[in-house]
Parts: sequence; structure tokens; C-alpha cells
Amino acid sequence: MGQNGQAAVLIPVQGKVGVGMIALDDFTPLVQLHQQRIYRLLLGIVRDHDAAQNLTQECFLKAYQKRATFRGEANVGVWLLKIAVNLARDHRRSRLREFWHGLFSSSEGLAELGQRLPDPHASQERVLVGREEVAGVWSAAEKLSPQQRAVFILRFVEEMSLEEIAEATSLKLGTVKTHLFRAVRAIRQQCKGGRSRE
Amino acid sequence: MNSHLSDDQITEWVLGTNDEFVHRHLETCHVCSAEAEELRSAISSFHDAVHAAAERDESFWRNQQLAFRERVSAKDWYPMHWAWLVAMVMVLIMAIFLTRTPNAPQNYSSEDADNALLKAVQGDLSREVPQALAPALLIAQERNEILASKLNRQSVPKQ
Repeated sequence: MGQNGQAAVLIPVQGKVGVGMIALDDFTPLVQLHQQRIYRLLLGIVRDHDAAQNLTQECFLKAYQKRATFRGEANVGVWLLKIAVNLARDHRRSRLREFWHGLFSSSEGLAELGQRLPDPHASQERVLVGREEVAGVWSAAEKLSPQQRAVFILRFVEEMSLEEIAEATSLKLGTVKTHLFRAVRAIRQQCKGGRSRE
Repeated sequence: MNSHLSDDQITEWVLGTNDEFVHRHLETCHVCSAEAEELRSAISSFHDAVHAAAERDESFWRNQQLAFRERVSAKDWYPMHWAWLVAMVMVLIMAIFLTRTPNAPQNYSSEDADNALLKAVQGDLSREVPQALAPALLIAQERNEILASKLNRQSVPKQ
């Protein structure tokens, strides 16, 4: 692998496996570099640690199998995120999997993730408010379409630009903006709904 | 009173749309400012929560890499497995065809029937008189015998 960044990893190499193929040893640094981000994105979309872990491996496996088709025009990170978004979409499509997932985990993942607030020094009140906020956003995100949720997470969790999101999701820029607007408006409605119930 | 920002305007502000009117309104209106800040805070908390939830220790990421390598190795073997499987199935099919007995039991019975029919036809052809006229032949033979005995009696002189 090259010293300066991700793209160098996928430059075709003349080696044991021939031109245009990348040895597994050359691919491993790519996994090291991007696995946390891929895992985080998948966790945000599927909301299940085991599924996110499995899909992360699947994502790199797919990338490894398709490595010859990567032309280096796009950012490697965005290319991997694109694979991950597609895998998450396929995962959601499986109704059988959803059935078993719903049967065994239901809203447990939501509650568990809602408890995860990073600042241990925050006041008790702030922690409670934060948990409510997170639960509200999770709840609103759950009602979004998989594509809207992916766009929302890519923007507000991964802090990607709109252009990068368009590339990762294979959507037009205008569609990305529309998805984002609808997602944020749904969260706003959720916040308002939560406040009116208090 | 309808002087506050709409949901859409607050949403646009959170998304970073630079609207001068909205910006000025938020500076002066505490109600809208609090609502916009609440939305931004909720999204920020969500960001932090997902990042915190995705935090894993070093061993987790090491295991992920190991699992990836194992799966790559396993996948590399899959085509070989399939090739072996296809070869075995072909050998099995060929073995079945080669070791199969040529004549099925029902062929014997049909051959027997054919032979019987052939014999019957040959029998019919070798017969001088058709089977349907066999009684007439018997009557004719009987008649000839009677006539012959009469002639014999006439030819013997009376004593």
C-alpha cells in the first residue's frame, strides 16, 4: 500500500497475483482504515450490532471481489460507503430477516443506542435530555425510508458533503436534498410531538 | 399570531440554507431560536450517540480483520468446491449409464409376445387347410373313408 492515502491501495500492482489484481495483504490496510466508519454507518442504518458487524465484513468482501472494477476515479472511502449502503438496503429488503429481527430484538437496540451518550461529565439533566433527544431522532429515523435514513446518517453522522452523498447513494443531488429535507422535517415533527406530550 | 418561522424554514436553517430573513428572525425571536436550537441539539446528540455506539475496543477491529481474511480465503475456495462437485456428479452419471443392464424386464415380455405371434403366423401358413375350414376337412375325410369302405365291400365277391 502507498503511504499517502487510500487511493494508492487500489493502484494495480505487478506482483504474485498479476497485474490489476491486489493481493489480500495489500487490501488489509484498507480494511483497517475504513472499517470503523463502515461499521458506524451500517449500525446507524440497521440499528443492530451483529448485523452491522456482519455487513461490514460483507462490504469489504464485496469490495475485495470487485477490486478489479474500481477505476480510482472516485474516493475509495465513498466507493466503500456505496457498497455498504447497497448492502444495508438489501438487508432491509429481506422480510424474513426483519421478521426474526423484530421477534428477538424489537426496540432493544433503540434503547441501548439511546443510552450511549459520550460525555460522562454532563449534568444529570443534560444526560436525560440528551437521551430523550436521541430516542426521538431514532424513532423518527425508524419511520423514514431506508434511502432517506441512509442520506440522513451520511450527512449528520458521517458529515459528508451533498455531492459525496449523491455519489455514495447513486442519487441525484436534488433527490439527496429532498431526502434530507424530509428527514429533518420528520425529526422536527417528532421533537414537537414529544414536547406537546410533556 | 403567525409571526414565527414555519417548520420548513427551521428545517432549511438546520440544513444550512443561508436565508437572511430567517437568520435575522432567529436573532430576535426566542421562541423560534429555542425550537431551532432544540432540533440542532437533537441531531447533534444523535451524531454523538451513533459515534459512541460504534466505538469498539482494539480486539473487536482485529477480529473483524481476521474474519474478513478468513471469509476471503473461504470464498477463494468456493469455485474449486463447485468444480469438484460438478466433476463428481458427472462421474456418477457416467457410472450409472455404464453399469446399467441393457434390457429391461418389460422388453422380454414384448419379445415373447412377438415370437408367439410369429410362430402362430408360421403355423397358419404351413397348414394346408385354413383353420376355419378344418371341420369341413374332417367331414370330407370321413365321407371319403365311408365311400372307400363301400367300394371295398362291393368289390369283394359274395360267397
